[in-house]
Amino acid sequence: MPATGTNSPTAGTAPSSAADGVRLAGVSFAYGPAAVVRDLSLAVPADAFCALLGPSGCGKTTLLKMIAGELVPQAGRVSVNGRDVTATPPEARNIGTVYQSYALFPHLTAWKNVAFGLEVRGVPKATVAERVEALLHRVRLTRDEWHRRPAQLSGGQQQRVAVARALAFGPDLLLLDEPLANLDRQLREEMRVELRRVHAESGTTTILVTHDQEEALAAADLIGVMYAGRLLQLGPPREVYDRPRTPFVARFLGDANLLPDGTMIRPEAIPVGGPRQGTVTRVTFHGGFQAVEFDADGQPLKLHTSTQQRWTVGDPIRFVLPESAVWAIPEADPTP
Amino acid sequence: MTRSAPLLLSAPAVALLGGFVLAPLVLLVRVSLCEPAAGRGFYTPDTFTLQNYARLFDPHHRSIVAFTVGFALAVAAVSLLVGYPLALFIRGRADRWQPLAVGLVLIPKTAGTLAAVFGLQRLLPRGLVSAALTEAYLIVPYAVLVLVVQLRAIDPTLTAAARGLGASRWQAFRRVTLPLSWPGVILAGELGLAWGIGAMAGPLFLGGPAEMTLAVEVQRQAFEYGRWPQAAADAVALAVLALLALAAARLRRSP
Repeated sequence: MPATGTNSPTAGTAPSSAADGVRLAGVSFAYGPAAVVRDLSLAVPADAFCALLGPSGCGKTTLLKMIAGELVPQAGRVSVNGRDVTATPPEARNIGTVYQSYALFPHLTAWKNVAFGLEVRGVPKATVAERVEALLHRVRLTRDEWHRRPAQLSGGQQQRVAVARALAFGPDLLLLDEPLANLDRQLREEMRVELRRVHAESGTTTILVTHDQEEALAAADLIGVMYAGRLLQLGPPREVYDRPRTPFVARFLGDANLLPDGTMIRPEAIPVGGPRQGTVTRVTFHGGFQAVEFDADGQPLKLHTSTQQRWTVGDPIRFVLPESAVWAIPEADPTP
Repeated sequence: MTRSAPLLLSAPAVALLGGFVLAPLVLLVRVSLCEPAAGRGFYTPDTFTLQNYARLFDPHHRSIVAFTVGFALAVAAVSLLVGYPLALFIRGRADRWQPLAVGLVLIPKTAGTLAAVFGLQRLLPRGLVSAALTEAYLIVPYAVLVLVVQLRAIDPTLTAAARGLGASRWQAFRRVTLPLSWPGVILAGELGLAWGIGAMAGPLFLGGPAEMTLAVEVQRQAFEYGRWPQAAADAVALAVLALLALAAARLRRSP
């Protein structure tokens, strides 16, 4: 289902009533004269895993802070599950947040960190213990790690504690602020799978903020691309990747050949062999595939192909631009 | 750099501490073990007695020690009660204002202790409260300095995280900010205690006759009665008391 309207994109993966999930309506925020988020509207259906993707400085973290209640928007409304929380203090929003730095309380053990949200709500001790232990099991922390302080845990373990802490009190919404940025590549991929699993098990509406397009594509079932304080497009990963609404979206989600006529084709959609011919200008080996850049009648193009065939600069290359893979980008980028 | 460089670098400090702290301290202890002067001089040399220390346990001295400890606790408590909220307030300002705010708090220290005490003497009536407030006034800038540094070391994301998890402002303070600033509270408390135990100017110039701390007693024994060995024993007791107070503050665990 393609989104409609530049500033009011909506998309659905699961049937849900309009009141469910997170809704932002015309939200704006500026630090002094510098507008960070501009008249932004967004609807994330309940139970969805949505990734907000954008370069640093695009306003995604500010947006997250407005949803969490750390910042109050200067214009517009924020609602969660049908409840207007625009001016609600953060502690009354029932939203769990996992910070990039995890922000675990250094003076408390993993167990006590997870218990925090329950204890401040005055939940009875026995229930707290039950919930905390269930969550620590769910994020796969071993028993001897439960009573360690954050400094005695690895980055991956700290991240699990942060996720458990954010879920412990049964939040209406889970916010993840670049939670994988501080992990090394292998752990990042592991944790991405973990986050998906935790999301599937808890069924909590989740918004992930990231600048890593690979992470967004792999983790989320809904992707919003932000640029200069605006939401350019919101939709399922495949749709946003295959049918980007503006040139920025096309480029930010991966390699894209942007053609002078306003169309786009992904490098992996260009097969080798065919009626047209070009001259190889550069070959980059990527392990699983190679990227071949070539010049076709003055138009620089790039294709991804298997590593079987060896190319060198200056070689002729035959190719075709399949009609079905060429996408006409419907809109221009907004001026920043 | 040679191996002896660190030794050389610490030489001035060693000389200063050795010459002006350690040597007088040895002399002080020796004098405290002498008979009082029989005629001219400060003490009778080459005598040895424990009577000055025995007298520390007479009712007069016992009440002075008890008052000194209570007075020091009050000074430390007042300096924390005034200093902690002030430090929290300063920590809450924008980064660029914080050095200015700390500077403003420190400005009264430029007046010097005596000028401050004589100034307060004109404003406050004599009495226990005035004496304690005066000493607290003198120590609060240091308490604020210590506490602001400690509070600034706490990642502000932690308080935001606490609020997000459902903690009210008070709960976030009680469960996160206070425990994480506890080392600063201990340090500022120790400063207040040590300062209060050695307090003389406040009790002497703003206290009544009942506000008799050990330091005032040292001063009286030496300059009013000319009993220098007793003054020395009192001074040793003062130092021991200060050390005990610091040790006790260290035993207190975080909340």
